[in-house]
Amino acid sequence: MINVSNISKKIGKVQALDDLSFSAEDGMITGLLGPNGAGKTTCLRTIFGLLKPDSGNAEIDGIDVAKHPVAAKAKLGLFPDPFGLYERLTPREYIQYFAKLSGMNSSDAKQATAAVLSKLRMDDIADRRCKGFSQGQRMKTALAQAIVHQPTNIILDEPTRGLDVMSTRVLRDLLLDLKHQGHCVLFSSHVMQEVAALCDRVIVMANGKVAAIGSPQELCQRTGQDSLEEAFIQLIGTDEGIAA
Amino acid sequence: MISKTLTLLRKELIDASRDKRSVLAGLYYAIGTPLIMCGLFMVLINQLSSPDDLPIKITNADTAPDLVRYLGQKGINNDTGEQAEKIQLIISDDYAKQMAQGKSAEVIIVADNSEEQLQKSIRRLQLALQNYSMEMGSLRLLARGIDPRVLRPLQVELHDQATQDSKGGMIMGIAIFTMLYSVFISGMNLAIDTSAGERERNSLGLLLSHPVTTGQLVLSKLLAVTAFAMLGLVLILAISHFAYPMVPWPELGFSITITPSFMATVLVIGLPVAMLAASLQLFVSFMAKTFKEAQSYLTMVMFIPLALAMSASYNIAPDVLKWLPVSGQQGALMEVIKGKALPLQELLISSGATLAITLLLALALTRMLRSEKVVFGL
Repeated sequence: MINVSNISKKIGKVQALDDLSFSAEDGMITGLLGPNGAGKTTCLRTIFGLLKPDSGNAEIDGIDVAKHPVAAKAKLGLFPDPFGLYERLTPREYIQYFAKLSGMNSSDAKQATAAVLSKLRMDDIADRRCKGFSQGQRMKTALAQAIVHQPTNIILDEPTRGLDVMSTRVLRDLLLDLKHQGHCVLFSSHVMQEVAALCDRVIVMANGKVAAIGSPQELCQRTGQDSLEEAFIQLIGTDEGIAA
Repeated sequence: MISKTLTLLRKELIDASRDKRSVLAGLYYAIGTPLIMCGLFMVLINQLSSPDDLPIKITNADTAPDLVRYLGQKGINNDTGEQAEKIQLIISDDYAKQMAQGKSAEVIIVADNSEEQLQKSIRRLQLALQNYSMEMGSLRLLARGIDPRVLRPLQVELHDQATQDSKGGMIMGIAIFTMLYSVFISGMNLAIDTSAGERERNSLGLLLSHPVTTGQLVLSKLLAVTAFAMLGLVLILAISHFAYPMVPWPELGFSITITPSFMATVLVIGLPVAMLAASLQLFVSFMAKTFKEAQSYLTMVMFIPLALAMSASYNIAPDVLKWLPVSGQQGALMEVIKGKALPLQELLISSGATLAITLLLALALTRMLRSEKVVFGL
């Protein structure tokens, strides 16, 4: 469970986050929906304690990130944007490395890595160096890294960017799988289709503020629109920076 | 705590060992430098030393057979050819007559005294001629019943206390400097890659999103870069061990021998310097926004240890250098290779200062990595 309360953050002269509050529950997929520049990535980075909020705080399973960063991060998995792969390592080494950093011992990390590699059907590329990987292969490697240690909370920053249909499916199935296992999944996106298809709850963000919170159906009903896209445009008051 | 640092360190080393740029940078320097140095010394020695047999062109040699014989005993022979043409000895036409009459006979040396290669040979010829002149003078005095010592009121003797090895201080300084400087060169690329490079590849943010402390992160990076730096030092010592004996040292009157015990001393003394190099390079690289920016900053910063170490090998260096990082170690190693005792007090203080600066830089790095400006290059 991720709880964000009253976070404000200024980056340079821009008020990137403005008194932002929301929560993401376990066993649910929560979508952070907003146009480009709405503050989605800033928000996620703040949850990870990489950025320090000017005011407000973020809690992971009740642990304050600012006060106990290591303990809070142990309960998180991150699928970042950009991926941050080490091109000279193989996926197996890469995933195992981060599994150990997340606190697993050597043999557990090895087992968990093998399991996640076969789950994502990556066995054919598992021992090739990441250099030269396709976008789909990179995505899978980053995804495996995020879930290998079975964190209660998984955060994905724009997970579907640049993916083909097959890769998007792998991702979608995996997120649903995680949800059914009771994980808390929070992802940011500006792609309507994705959010409508996957999310139990949508947090619509614009200019660093929460514009609306609810399930896709609720948002449609509230705005009296048929599609989430129309609802979204009405909620944020512009169609700038949206992908259909 | 420790296991995470080890995990981080292990990954840094695997990653670095697969990075051609990082590995080759150290290798080129460690292998190339001793070979280039040896080559340079050989050329230098050949230029500075006079050949055993010195061919010169003597004009009117037949008028002074005794002198020519005397010079021949000293290895200076009348010869023709290009080499001999460079130094000419002209014996005056009236040499035999003047000598017979007990007067001064004129001999003229014709050579280009500005040519460094010739200087030693010219001095050798002059010395031989002077000695011959003195011998002749003494004989003339004896023939007149006078003790030749009358003309030598002072008998100057020089007891040279320099051991064979303490002479070529400058050359030794350079040789040791190239070894000590390898710790700065060998780890430099890795330091940039693991800091500015890590950020440029966007993996720094991901790394910091994991439950590791910035202290663990800095420690592992510091150890990895230090390991590379020390590897470079081991390598350059090993190569020097085999390359330096090939230089004809005795011609210079001293020698540089890289004995195993000297190698061990360099490694022990070099370790704090390697740690300083690693922390300094990481610190500077993390300040830079990109790989390239880090490279250009570092080339400038690396002048500081260069200047410190180089100035320590000159005699004009102020005494304070003995106590400073890098120059202190350089000075100590020079004493050791000259066969003198290790200046323990100076070395301890300069090594202490080295470690203190390392610690400060590491702490500053730990703080820096908590700053979002540094992590995201804002």
